[in-house]
Amino acid sequence: MASMHLSHIRKWILDSPPIEFAIGHIRELLVGALKQGPVPQHVAFVMDGNRRFARSHGIETVEGHNLGFEALARILEVCYKSGVQVVTIYAFSIENFKRSKFEVDALMDIAKVKLSQLAQHGDLLDRYGASVRVLGRRGLLKPDVAAAVDQAVELTSRNGDRILNICFPYTSRDEITTAVRDTVIDYTKPLDPVRPTSSPPRNPFSESHIVSNIRARALNAKGQMETSDSENTSGSSSRDEDESLGQDRSSNTVYESTSSFSSSTTLHLAGLQDDSTPRDLLFAKPTDASSPFFISPETITPQTITDHMFTKGDPPLDLLIRTSGVERLSDFMLWQCHQNTEIVFLDVLWPEFDLWHFLPVLWRWQRRVAKAQWRGMEEDDDIARATDRLYSEGLDETPLRQGAKIKGL
Amino acid sequence: MTLPMVSARDRELYRRQKLSATDRERLLRPYLPDPDSLSTRPSIHQHRKRPSTARKKNATRTRNRTRTRTISIRAFLRSQLHQLVYALIHICLGFYVRLSQALAAVIDRIQAIVYYHHRTPELIQKDVRSLSRLPEHLSVILSLHRDDDALQTLMDEVSELAAWTACAGIPTLSIYEKSGVLKSCIPALYQAVTDKLSSYYGSPVHQPILRIFAPHHSVYGPSRASSVTRRSSNGATLTILLLSATDGRETLVDLTKTLAEMAQNGKLSPDDISTDLIDAEISEITSRPSQSTPALFSNDNDQGDEKEPVSGNNRHHDTADNLVPPILQPIKPEPDLLLIFGPYVKLDGYPPWQIRLTEIFCTGDRGSSITGGQEAVEYQGFMRALWRYARAQMRFGR
Repeated sequence: MASMHLSHIRKWILDSPPIEFAIGHIRELLVGALKQGPVPQHVAFVMDGNRRFARSHGIETVEGHNLGFEALARILEVCYKSGVQVVTIYAFSIENFKRSKFEVDALMDIAKVKLSQLAQHGDLLDRYGASVRVLGRRGLLKPDVAAAVDQAVELTSRNGDRILNICFPYTSRDEITTAVRDTVIDYTKPLDPVRPTSSPPRNPFSESHIVSNIRARALNAKGQMETSDSENTSGSSSRDEDESLGQDRSSNTVYESTSSFSSSTTLHLAGLQDDSTPRDLLFAKPTDASSPFFISPETITPQTITDHMFTKGDPPLDLLIRTSGVERLSDFMLWQCHQNTEIVFLDVLWPEFDLWHFLPVLWRWQRRVAKAQWRGMEEDDDIARATDRLYSEGLDETPLRQGAKIKGL
Repeated sequence: MTLPMVSARDRELYRRQKLSATDRERLLRPYLPDPDSLSTRPSIHQHRKRPSTARKKNATRTRNRTRTRTISIRAFLRSQLHQLVYALIHICLGFYVRLSQALAAVIDRIQAIVYYHHRTPELIQKDVRSLSRLPEHLSVILSLHRDDDALQTLMDEVSELAAWTACAGIPTLSIYEKSGVLKSCIPALYQAVTDKLSSYYGSPVHQPILRIFAPHHSVYGPSRASSVTRRSSNGATLTILLLSATDGRETLVDLTKTLAEMAQNGKLSPDDISTDLIDAEISEITSRPSQSTPALFSNDNDQGDEKEPVSGNNRHHDTADNLVPPILQPIKPEPDLLLIFGPYVKLDGYPPWQIRLTEIFCTGDRGSSITGGQEAVEYQGFMRALWRYARAQMRFGR
């Protein structure tokens, strides 16, 4: 009882105009100060904890989601004011369709209402220039929600530099699968013959295995595979794999021992890949004399797949924040966050998430980046010194260098 | 819980009423920043729209000049203030971080004393017994130190971790090391881990059956004679899976290449590519060892073994098929718990497909970066990860 009274007083004081004014200015000041250092270019949020917040505060789940939306608005303001280019939010997972129909409908309703509200303020959005994108499986949405999504995306598509990615019915595995499929589709478009070369490809995955996998799923006989058959299939498939590995190795050696012509083409290829325009001028591979020419699958690089992700064109993910203390990625941004992204798990529910939780994270990030830059300069010195020492010592075989050599081979 | 930038009254209005679009804009207008101050592009638009009679233009220009001067002075002062605040914040943050590092280091030392394993499996089992759940597959991210005996240190860390994992009763341990050095010295690692296990368990009879493998490498396990005798005494097994950066993106790229080629040859339609198919193919690589190489047969190193995979495989396969089935048993492809010995969570190229639902635990910043070293791989960090996974409170004293 007393604590409720206290919180009422606190609320009254915080809401009184002078305090509100002061807090507003402090926020402005802090955000302005934040801009003086490095700022992450791409931040992702997993907005977790709306339901738990609603439960612990004794309000409807839907109301919790509404408060979550307000928290999102707050955070977006901070992000864009401090210079973050892209914000990606995990709004709805494909798995979430398994929740109660009531809640799913309510969430869809919120999304529809907010997106159509957004669409009503076309000129305002134009002036401030943030564009909304919706990532995920649009096909799973109801037609009216999908229409609202399309309208909002269309309306803001011309806006420039700030981007809000809403992952709507999304899972990262689905995204990766889509990217792989789209890449394959791109590579199965026949090309005009440019320069036929025969280079046997390298395939650590056995084709027969994939075929058998597809077949197994088509027959819905996955469970039966586990038992007695598994010994046989695994045996044969591993032999297959080995044959292909052996082939691959021999082909590699052949490839390396060919004339300077082929090496010059590979160099050419590498240069093109960096520009990420692999479909312009590449050599095609004849499978048969009569069949059409294709871009060689060997030109697929991680960059190719990155360019087929939903987040294509966005800067690399710098910071991923998940609220509510759950320390899992839950199928979010797996491809994007597994390299240099700093992942932060915060023990606060999303509706409570505010500048005061967000700032320490950003400050630490700034500190780390500044330090890394500093250390990067030192490291260059270190590398120079180490190579000097290596040359002066001559060739003595430490295991590490041996390992490196083996890898080099 | 509230929108502090928006006054309480307006917030109530916004929440309670069904507003029309124009009402909402009127309500929000005072809170929107001046578009002129945001960027140059919109302000150009504004200029173009201004009335174009000459006198008016003149008047606005003079007014603009005085305004821009005051604005630029104000902007200068503001940026100075912001820089000052930025510097102050980072000085304070520096103090705070150092203090918390020191505190964490002290707590860490106390825990290291209280929870020392004394190389006794029974003590580790006792630590684990109270936990409500244990991961079935533990994964650890390790990194190569930068000093001279880096590989030796790394192998030592791996063997310590293997011993703790085995004692805790976790059947699978995967080690991620970005460069993949470990994959090139599996036999040496096997020896190191076996030595460590015998220093924990004593006689080899009590040790769990150990096997080590890496994707696209053969399984390295015990010879069949010893494994038969061991299985009778101690049913436990420990599988160590070695991962590196090439098992992440590159594996997916390789799969895409194969799929693209199949599609080009008409063996597969792009519609057949589904999450299940990719999952089956990817998890096959990390979960099922392809062939076995009993330790007694291959004293030569792993590279030599791989140069003739077909003949080697056939020979080993016969022995493997009828005599050592457990060595080819698949493991759980997705780790339950990922343990990072480092100041903050950074996956550093860890295979992305597998960590969808993995709990991630990071030992935290204990200031070892000041001394230039890496976070040490220590038993209390390992235990804290297991506590966290079981959502248990850690208690001082056993």
